[in-house]
Amino acid sequence: MMTKFRKGLTFAAAATLAFSLTACSSDDGTEGAEGTDGGSGEAAAAGDNSLTVWAWDPAFNIFAMEEAEKVYQEEHPDFTLDIQEVTWEDLQPRLTTLAQSQEFGELPDIFLMQNNAFQKNALNYPDLFTPITDSGIAFDEFPEGVTAYSVIDGENYGVPFDAGTAISALRTDILEEAGLTVDDFTDITWDEYIALGEQVLEATGKPMLSGIAGEPDTILMMLQSAGQSLFDAEGNPTITDNEALSSAIDIYSQMVEKGIYLEVNSWDEYIGSLVNGNVAGTINGIWISGSLQTAEDQAGNWGVTNLPIVDGVDGATHYSANGGSSWAVSSNANVELATDFLASTFAGSTELYDTILPSAGAVANWLPAGDSDVYSEPQEFYGGQPIYADVISFGAEVPANNTGAYYYEARDAVGVAITQIMGGTAPADALGEAQSTVEFAMN
Amino acid sequence: MMTPVVRPDRATTTPAKRTKGSPRYSSPAARRRSLTGWAFLIPAAALIGLMMFWPMFQALILSFQTGRGSNLDWADPLTFNYDRMLDDDIFRLTLTTTLLYLVIQVPIMLVTALVLANILNNPRLKWKGFWRTAIFVPAAISLVSYSLVFRTIFATDGLVNDALIWVGFIDNPINWLGETNTARLVIILGLLWRWTGFNVIFYLAALQNIDPTTLEAAKMDGAGPIRTFFSVTIPQMKPMILLTVIMSTNGTIQMFDESYNLTRGGPANTTMTMSHYLFDVSFQNNPNFGYGAALSYVILIIVAVLAAIQMKVGDKRD
Repeated sequence: MMTKFRKGLTFAAAATLAFSLTACSSDDGTEGAEGTDGGSGEAAAAGDNSLTVWAWDPAFNIFAMEEAEKVYQEEHPDFTLDIQEVTWEDLQPRLTTLAQSQEFGELPDIFLMQNNAFQKNALNYPDLFTPITDSGIAFDEFPEGVTAYSVIDGENYGVPFDAGTAISALRTDILEEAGLTVDDFTDITWDEYIALGEQVLEATGKPMLSGIAGEPDTILMMLQSAGQSLFDAEGNPTITDNEALSSAIDIYSQMVEKGIYLEVNSWDEYIGSLVNGNVAGTINGIWISGSLQTAEDQAGNWGVTNLPIVDGVDGATHYSANGGSSWAVSSNANVELATDFLASTFAGSTELYDTILPSAGAVANWLPAGDSDVYSEPQEFYGGQPIYADVISFGAEVPANNTGAYYYEARDAVGVAITQIMGGTAPADALGEAQSTVEFAMN
Repeated sequence: MMTPVVRPDRATTTPAKRTKGSPRYSSPAARRRSLTGWAFLIPAAALIGLMMFWPMFQALILSFQTGRGSNLDWADPLTFNYDRMLDDDIFRLTLTTTLLYLVIQVPIMLVTALVLANILNNPRLKWKGFWRTAIFVPAAISLVSYSLVFRTIFATDGLVNDALIWVGFIDNPINWLGETNTARLVIILGLLWRWTGFNVIFYLAALQNIDPTTLEAAKMDGAGPIRTFFSVTIPQMKPMILLTVIMSTNGTIQMFDESYNLTRGGPANTTMTMSHYLFDVSFQNNPNFGYGAALSYVILIIVAVLAAIQMKVGDKRD
């Protein structure tokens, strides 16, 4: 998901520019009209058997929706979906605009939402959503760490779609040169990971990990693996005096200093470091698998295991998450049909997940799907390892944490702090500044 | 963001003003002509009023409101958003960065443009069409495209590092976009590449309006080419230079695309411009439209003040 997200940014930027240059062009004319057809047209015709959906990736979530439509049609032959492709970069401003202008009639019945943006949108614009806690969808069949993104004040607002379950992916051939195997990296601590990383670096000259400088994804995954985030349960920022965060930053700086973690400047460079074989592994959401598999020459040379544990932090586990998305039911929806549809597909159909896993690599959050045979099939790219079964079992262990409405502000502020720490600023000062930046944004 | 070209003289030469000296029209025909002129003006004026000034007014109102998302209320005190800005470290950083771009990039660009325009204006220059096209082409390229190209060629394993290593200037690749100073340098280089040719066109137009007899006269009086340039050419180009200075200042202060696409504002927000911050505040983070609107008004005030100073200093016409 994040892959698409970042690549899409470019296009979004291009689109924004084109739009601003043509000044007051025909936004209302074309797109608005489409929205009207989809949204209010649907609402007016409530009771008939069709739903409108906004999603962004034809190869992934739109494909999954199309398959869900087929599944639901088996019992409801006259049911149809109108799936509209709206990139995330368009979807967010569109929601903002509709909410600001109170034009809720333009909303579709169901839209997809990035997990990390869910709290922000639901808290700022509650009028966009319909709470679906008592709609008959079995939310307890999803890992709590995943539903937590879309729960506000105890109410469920979203059905989890793709998992951001974190994996530690490793190049088995590179490890072999250093006399190591994936097992050596399983159930270890970060200290051990660093020691092994030094061994790999010495033997092969390759760092273990790579990541974008100033983007704290790795650190945030470490935090979530201990059930922590940059906020406490009340939503107050906890950037200073956060033991887990200082441990994570300490691990991160050690790795960068020792040359085990290669800092790059952009998403493309990050992907490049993976597919060109410049690093011995990566730690990210399972969606990174899609990018890894573009390096066909590396087929059979990858293995997957759980994450190292952050030493000395209460509640630390080997499991975490990064990214992922959920389906939200809008305030303009045919609620009964929309929730029944979601309950019988994304929250109730192994058949659906069996189709979308092999064709689109969409790993289910819905736990019963993991029992299916499709998930235990060996994956050739991963040397015959049935990684999807592993990922499902990891997913069930991911601790929940509070992302809060100010997730992006805090994430950016911590990113700035890390850049400063790498440049020599004392961690306490940099984190103190980050804390006050987030507090400033919140007041 | 691209600056709309201002044509101050057009606006004043409306048909109505042509009937000078007679507030009461000399004949019904003249009156009708005048009304026709006004009628032609109304659609454009109404559109500008509706599409530009009305939203600007609404933004002003918005800048006195506060709240997250759509829960906007009147700020207490009304100037809350403006007061808040004084404590905003990121805003202060973006303001400094933007002004830095301005004082470094605009003078270099305009002097280069002036030199290039004079070279291109030389009647003995061969392949004139080719040079002109080559210099102007960057100005026709989308801001996003060129930002992304610059981003790629200044990557750690990009063209620039490869070339420098090959020539032997450096041994290890420079992390251009990862360090504050080099990242700012790359943005300034990008701006120079993209906008110099744009200004050359304006100067060429100005040069072609210079009466050649004045240059000949200077030559007859024994002035060398440099003396002629500074004492005869430059004074006659002054209005155009003033225009380009104001346009460039305006454009740089409102700059967004390069910051957003080339460096993403990084490292640690040190290359972020004010407009980029305004965008983040309104759309990227929790939507704080009141604060965003206040930021945009501060940008407007800065542009207006700078333009006023420049006109006071630069325009001695009476």
